This record gives sequence, structure tokens and C-alpha cells, in this order.
Amino acid sequence: MSIFEYNGSALVAMVGKNCFAIASDRRLGVQLQTIATDFQRIHKIHDKLYIGLSGLATDVQTLYQRLVFRHKLYQLREERDMKPETFASVVSAILYEKRFGPYLCQPVIAGLGDDDKPFICTMDSIGAKELAKDFVVAGTAAESLYGACESMYKPDMESDELFETVSQALLASVDRDCLSGWGGHVFVVTPTEVIEKTLKGRMD
Amino acid sequence: MATKQQANWSPYDNNGGTCVAIAGADYCVIAADTRMSTGYSILTRDYSKISKLADKCVMASSGFQADVKALQKNLAARHLIYQHQHNKQMSCPAMAQLLSNTLYYKRFFPYYAFNVLGGLDNEGKGCVFTYDAVGSYERVGYSSQGSGSTLIMPVLDNQLKSPSPLLLPAVDAVTPLSESEAVDMVKDVFASAAERDIYTGDKVEIVIVNAGGIRREYTDLRKD
Repeated sequence: MSIFEYNGSALVAMVGKNCFAIASDRRLGVQLQTIATDFQRIHKIHDKLYIGLSGLATDVQTLYQRLVFRHKLYQLREERDMKPETFASVVSAILYEKRFGPYLCQPVIAGLGDDDKPFICTMDSIGAKELAKDFVVAGTAAESLYGACESMYKPDMESDELFETVSQALLASVDRDCLSGWGGHVFVVTPTEVIEKTLKGRMD
Repeated sequence: MATKQQANWSPYDNNGGTCVAIAGADYCVIAADTRMSTGYSILTRDYSKISKLADKCVMASSGFQADVKALQKNLAARHLIYQHQHNKQMSCPAMAQLLSNTLYYKRFFPYYAFNVLGGLDNEGKGCVFTYDAVGSYERVGYSSQGSGSTLIMPVLDNQLKSPSPLLLPAVDAVTPLSESEAVDMVKDVFASAAERDIYTGDKVEIVIVNAGGIRREYTDLRKD
């Protein structure tokens, strides 16, 4: 079993009309045993920037702590929040620093940039960025998520339709992956509000 | 201590591709892409993975096409013998069992074939049987196998909402969709799979089995 599949995870971020959604599953496992059913994979960096981390859970937590530290330092020095594009570059640099002993994580970054334009990206464990205009996926359920998102996505969805689409894609995909599931966590972020919802799916 | 001897070649190859089947109330749709690949190369864009085993029974197989061809020939021969002995065509459930037994016969040097069998059962209702490489099978309302199956299955789950076979009384797994709706869904899922799976593309061959007989359609897919 690959070390990336040790804990199990599913992450997806999708772009809508002047908004974005980022969603994850809630399972934390140790190979076939489920340890927690409320594990948080998506974290807020600032009001308009969220990062989800899939992969080995210890690296997920350590990397998140390092990124929060970097962002707080940036806020003190620059007296403003980091733009999502900038943050993505910071994450990429931090991952590449460990090129020959990497963090075993795959991040998914989603934010609203200048003029509240939605920005999403993912990268591999050594920082290779993949920018997308529609959606990005990560985790053990990535292949299922690719299929589901490709079928269900359409451009310029409003926040409520985007929420429905992301939720259906996530639940359908994790139901075909034994290492992820136990519900879902969805954030839909618009320029004016953040909608955070927990999904109840198959609890297995 | 000497290390174990290992072969420097493999008898198997994976020619890629995806197969899907959906069962309806009085029809069955069986589809597969027409791309045959090896490694990162395309061998041909126009190869049929679908084979008609009996009047109301069609099989789609992805995996190693040499083994698939051998399997199809084997089943065709067995079907001919059955027709000589029983003076009738094999029904789909009967063929399903035969396929399972044929696959398990080679349990210790398997056919590298991932099969989906579709057709009409003895009552004229659509049926789909899904297999692994060594013959474990199950009757289901819909299924997909092959390189794009992990991309397609969640979408079929979401759209066709097949009830769990554990429910009592047993609930019919076939979809209430009409034939044209099912065909449209097949075209949609293949289009999505072709976007993200490099082994799926070129064309989809769609075979529809209903009371009137067997019909064939083709739709284009991404060629990259």
C-alpha cells in the first residue's frame, strides 16, 4: 500500500460565478481501520483563502501549521492578506524545499483573488502547480472525483447550484472509495459570505 | 542466499479501454470505446470490444484483447454445442454462468479480461452481469469495467440510484429510464471519461438489445 493511501482522503475544489467551493471527506483511517469521522482537511488561511490538504495526516497537520505561520508573518509585515496566487507559490516553494524528503501531501488551494475572481489550484507533493479553470481534485478518491466532476460540472454556476454539484460529486465519488467517506465538509465562498455545511452520506 | 528466479517478460499486456452496460425495463445498452492501446501508444482507433454471444446476449470486454478474443471464441464454440444439444439459443443468465465457469477454469493462469455481459433475461427484462478476471459475477442494474471505470461508476451510481441488493423484499435494480435516455447517459459518461483517461477515446460503440433485436450506434470521442 502506498504511503499516500495510509490515511485516506478526498478533496475537490470547484469554480462558480464569482464564487468557489471546496469540499472534503471526514474520515481519518489507519489503513483499514477508521480512527476518526470528523477529521478536518480544509483550513481557512484568511476570509477569502482556503487550503485543503490530502495525503498523510501528520504531514497535513504539520504543513498547515507551517503555512499559517508564514501567512501570519506576511500579514504582520505587509499589513494585508496574501493573494491566492501568491499563497500558491509559497506552498509550492515550501514543498520543493523538501524535494528529496517530501511532505507526503497534495494540497488543494481555493480563494478569491483581485476583483473577487475565483482561483483554484492543486499541486503534487513536491510543489508542481496545476492551475485549472473548472475544478481540481486530490486524494485516494481522485480518479472517481475526476469522473464525477467532469460529468457534473458546468461553468458559471451560482453558489447554491455549485454547492449541490460539489456535494453530489463528492458523495458519489467517496462511496466508491473505501478509504474515504464518513460524510463531507463543504465550504462555498462568495465575496460577501461563507457557507459552511456538513454532509451526511454513507457512514462506512 | 540466492534470490528467486523471475521471468524477464510477461504473458499479459493491457490494451486499455472502458466498457459500460445499463439494464432497462425491456432493453439493455452495452457500450465500449474503440481505442486499442499498448503502453502510451495507440494501436488502432477502430477496434470493437463488443461481441454478440447469443440472440439476446452481448458481451463487452476490456483488458488484454488477445485473451478477450480467445475467450470470445471459446464461448462461441460452447454456445454452438449448446444449440446442437438443446435446439435453442442460450439465455442471458445461462451465458452469464457459462462465462463465470469459463473464467474460473483458468483460475491459475487467468484470462486478463474485464467483462460486462448485457442482454434480456427469460422474461424480456434487461439484465447486466459484471465480472472480475477470474469469474466472480453478480447481476446488477448497471456496471462499468476497464481503465475509465473508476471515473464512470460514481456518475452511474449518482444517476441510476440502484437500490442495495440487501433490501427485503428484493427491489428491481433495472433503471426506469427510457432507452434513449439511457443511450444519452452512456454518451455523456464516455465523453467525461475520455477527457481524463488517456486510454479511453476515439469512438464509442453502443449496442442496444431489445425485443426487436440488436441495434448498433457509434459516437465520436476525443482523439487525443
